Amino acid sequence: MDNFADLTGAPRPIDKTLKMRKNVLFQFWRFISLNVRMVAMIFRGDH
Amino acid sequence: MARVVVLGAGISGHTAVLHLRRSLGKNHEIVMVTPNSKWNWIPSNIWVGVGKMSAEQVTFPLAPIYKRKGIEFHQALGTSIHPEGDKDHVKGFVTIKYTSPEKAGQEAQLEYDYLINATGPKLNFAATEGLGPDGHTVSVCTAGHAIEAAEKFQEVIAKLKAGQKQRLVIGVGHGTCTCEGAAFEYTFNVEHELVQVGVRDLAEVIYLTNEYELGDFGVGGMSFAQRGFQTNSKLWTESLFLERGVKAILQSHVSKVEAGVIHYEQLDGVKRTLDFDFAMLLPPFRGADIKAFNKAGEEITSELFAPSGFMKVDANYTPKPYEEWKAEDWPTTYQVPAFPNIFAVGIAFAPPHQISKPLTSATGTLIAPSPPRTGMPSGVMGKTAALTIIDQIKRGVNGKVHGASMANMGAACVASAGAGFTNGSAAAMTMYPVVPDYEKYPGVGRSSKDTFGEIGLAGHWIKYMLHIMFIYKAKARPFWFLIPE
Repeated sequence: MDNFADLTGAPRPIDKTLKMRKNVLFQFWRFISLNVRMVAMIFRGDH
Repeated sequence: MARVVVLGAGISGHTAVLHLRRSLGKNHEIVMVTPNSKWNWIPSNIWVGVGKMSAEQVTFPLAPIYKRKGIEFHQALGTSIHPEGDKDHVKGFVTIKYTSPEKAGQEAQLEYDYLINATGPKLNFAATEGLGPDGHTVSVCTAGHAIEAAEKFQEVIAKLKAGQKQRLVIGVGHGTCTCEGAAFEYTFNVEHELVQVGVRDLAEVIYLTNEYELGDFGVGGMSFAQRGFQTNSKLWTESLFLERGVKAILQSHVSKVEAGVIHYEQLDGVKRTLDFDFAMLLPPFRGADIKAFNKAGEEITSELFAPSGFMKVDANYTPKPYEEWKAEDWPTTYQVPAFPNIFAVGIAFAPPHQISKPLTSATGTLIAPSPPRTGMPSGVMGKTAALTIIDQIKRGVNGKVHGASMANMGAACVASAGAGFTNGSAAAMTMYPVVPDYEKYPGVGRSSKDTFGEIGLAGHWIKYMLHIMFIYKAKARPFWFLIPE
């Protein structure tokens, strides 16, 4: 018998969240923001 | 004149030779020994495995790069290390066996002043009966494996288009595997492709893992601060599985694979089976199984290497309970204590312990994800060893010994969840530090400012950008050194 993990307690994203994940303008902003945060994180530690 | 020999042209070894060559004059010899003729940007093998990229897009020949940079290149496998030399060699040397077609099987000995072991993992498919391309499952660990996986995946798609239901199982093939992130990526790229070709409804996609819970990724999971709340990678990952309709089987050790059937055991000790039509299961890793000998020719392998085949460096290997593990147990210089002119970087060094809490099943089977050493930390380790060698060659014994601990180093992990410039998606995650430090960051072990995750199209763009940037860097194009590891 298969023993799948119970995912019923997981939050399901709403339609707006799913749309924003694919919205090119919003995602371009997230692209810039994520890159800045990642570079800052890299330079804060041993690199 | 000094001679530096590097074993292995993966991310850490290749990074090391490029930095060495850039900073040391032509009177110093930089030697690369690696069994493969091509460099592979392994993170993009995921896209090869679903047919979105060709092998040529993720690999390139090493010989022209090394010729251009003045790096001596031997396409060969390191087989033994002799750190004290022997009766015929005053200096330490390595024995290598050529793998290039023109010299295949020939052996040679290379003396060194400094040695970097960056041999990466041996893909230990043999640990699980029936696992791997010679068994009943596919892999995406190499570009060649990924091509084969893509072919098998296309066969599954053809059957789905013909109206046949198919079960696809993706995950790890042993209780001690690492790289759960890669299995996660392949799962969601496969799922994405099934949606793209319009056959998702007939396919059952299952993620089979040794993680205690989703979002563990072999690093004990992550805590994120989001919109005023502290959340975690478990909730975040479960949400993605729920949204995409992917099932998960956790806490599993795969013990055997037969044609169409996976045998696995979970923490409760119950042995179960899972039928499949397509399975991509990653193998566990072990070290490259290099032998070591002293000046008299007696074997000293156990002094230099852990039983796993990984090299022991400046870590604290004292066995102790999980609760007593410390961030400072992790190595910083990657030097072998007895032989400070030998370094082991990337996957080649022996971790002092797991990062995720190791667990055993009711029958005593170890189910414990091994610590991942992904591209970013591996590159930093390679550079760190190179900087120490450069300083010691230039300044002698007073040269600075550089350090970079995974307990003081961040990592960015961009896990693709589907390729496509406008419809792609990826989970972009960062964690700082990789190894949790519960004294510095009580409770969660990591900085809440620098540990975060986000799903969306931007993540896909970042992953594709990293693909372009790191292949550019590995080809040592102009100003390659400005790109961080």
